Amino acid sequence: MSDGGGGTIKEAEINSNSTNYRHSKKKRSRNVDITHSVARVAVAQLLDDAGFQSFQLSALDALADVAVRYICDIGKTANLYANLAGRSQCNLFDVIQGLEDLGSVQGFPGASDVHRWLSSSGVVREVGRYIGESEEIPFAYSIPGFPVVKAREPRQSFAQTGMTPPSEHIPSWLPVFPDPKTYVNLHSGQEKALQNGEGENEQVEKDKDGSKGSVNSLQKITNGSDPSVAVNLGDARGKRSVGCNPFLAPPVQAGEKEVSPVVIPAKLLDGSFMQGNDHGVLDNHISVLDTFAPAIEGLNNGSKIDPDDGRKDVPFHRSSTVKFKIFGVRKSSLRSLSVPKQEVATSASWLGDADTEDDTKKRAEQILKQSFESDGADTVVN
Amino acid sequence: MNSNPGQSYQQQASSNSERHDDDAALSEFLASLMDYNPTIPDELVEHYLAKSGFQCPDVRLTRLVAVATQKFIADVATESLQHCKARQSAVVKDKKQPKDKRLILTMEDLSKALREYGVNVKHQEYFADSPSAGLDPVSREE
Repeated sequence: MSDGGGGTIKEAEINSNSTNYRHSKKKRSRNVDITHSVARVAVAQLLDDAGFQSFQLSALDALADVAVRYICDIGKTANLYANLAGRSQCNLFDVIQGLEDLGSVQGFPGASDVHRWLSSSGVVREVGRYIGESEEIPFAYSIPGFPVVKAREPRQSFAQTGMTPPSEHIPSWLPVFPDPKTYVNLHSGQEKALQNGEGENEQVEKDKDGSKGSVNSLQKITNGSDPSVAVNLGDARGKRSVGCNPFLAPPVQAGEKEVSPVVIPAKLLDGSFMQGNDHGVLDNHISVLDTFAPAIEGLNNGSKIDPDDGRKDVPFHRSSTVKFKIFGVRKSSLRSLSVPKQEVATSASWLGDADTEDDTKKRAEQILKQSFESDGADTVVN
Repeated sequence: MNSNPGQSYQQQASSNSERHDDDAALSEFLASLMDYNPTIPDELVEHYLAKSGFQCPDVRLTRLVAVATQKFIADVATESLQHCKARQSAVVKDKKQPKDKRLILTMEDLSKALREYGVNVKHQEYFADSPSAGLDPVSREE
C-alpha cells in the first residue's frame, strides 16, 4: 500500500518536473537572454562578412557563446592582473596581458621573448593590422545601454530654495521636507482605523466570549474551586480573545486547555430548567450541579451540537446560577414557611420564568389554589 | 603565429627612444580604436566585462576588447569557411551530386576550427538539428 502510494507520488513528481523542464526550455528558446541574442546578431554579421551564405542555428549559437566567453575571459584575466599589481581598476596593460594569455594557445609574434615590452606586444599589433584590413561593419541595430541607469536629481535643500526651516534646530542645508499634509494626518488616521477594527472585533467576539467566560466559571464552580477565581479566569480569557491576536494573548496556565466556545442548545437548557425545578424543591445545593451536568458533559464531549442550529445564539445567562439560586431559595423558603400556593404562582409569573414551567405543574398549582380558597379568606390575605 | 626572434632581440637591444616610439604607436593605436566602429556593440562588451569584474571607465579599453573579440570571431569564421570549402571540394571529388554549393556554417566545420583555438566543441551525437537548417532563408531570398 505504502509502496504503491510512494510510487505514484514519485511518478507525479517526475511528471511535474518534466513538464516544468519542458516549459522552461520552451520559454527560454522563445525569449533568450537579450545579451545573448545581441551577440548572435553580431556574430551572424561577422560570419556573413567572412563569406558564409548561411549557417546552422546550433553552430551560430555555439559561436556566439564562444564570443561571449571570450569577452568574459578577457575581463577576468585583466582583472586578475590588475589585482596582482594591487589595483582595483584595470588599465591598458592588464588588458594586453589578458589578450596575450588568451592568444598563447594560438601563438602571436614575440611570444617567445620573455623581456618584451607590453606596449609593443604582438597581439596589439595584430589587432591594429586587423583594424586596417577589415572593413567596418557597424552593428545592425541600435542598442540601449544596459543596465539602464537613470540620473537621479537630489532634492533641493532649504538654502537652495530660499525657504526657512520649520524650526531653529533644523539646519538649512537639509533637503526640503515634504508637505506636512503627507505625514501629519497619517498617524491619527491609522489610529482611527485601528480603533474601528478593534471595535468590530469586540462586537464579533462579544457573544462568544460571554458564553465562554460563563461556561468556564460554571465549570470551576462545579469542580468545587473558588468561584471568584473562576470568574476572574473567565474574564481574563475573554480579554485574551477580544484582542483577536494570538501572539498578544496572555499564556494559558498550566493544565489549562484552550476551549472553543460552546453553545448549549435550548433543548438542554429546558431540560436543566425542569431538573432544577424538581430538585430545587428538595435541596438547593444539588440542584446547581444537576442543572449544569448535561451542559458540562456537552462541553467535555466536544459538543456534538449542530452548529447550524438556529438557537446557537441563545444567551447563556438565561440559565445563570444566580437566577436559579434565587428561584430555588425563594421556592424552598416559601415551601418551608408554608406560604399559600397562590403567592407561589404569582411570584413565578413575576420572575418571568412562568413560560418554562410545564402545564401539569400549573394545573396542580391551580388545583391547590382552589382548595385554599375554599378553606378560607384569611390565608389569602396573609 | 610565427614568433620572430630576430625582431625581439632587436627590441630588447633597443634604446629608450624606441620604447618611446612604441608608446607613441600604442597611443596612436588607441586613438585609432576610437575611430573604428566594431561590429560587436560596446554595450554588450561593457555588460560582460562588468559581469566578469572588470572595472575601467576608459571607453578605449572596451573598444580594444571588442575589436579583439571581433578579430577572434572573424579568424574562427575564416577558418571554418576553409574547412567548409575543403569538405565541399572533397564531396565533388567523390563524384556525388554537388547539388548544394552554398557555404553553410555547420557544427562540424566550426568544431574543427575552434579546436585550433583551444576550444573543444563537440556536436551532440543525436542533436536534432534539421538537415535543412540554414537553407530556408537563402531559398526565400532566391
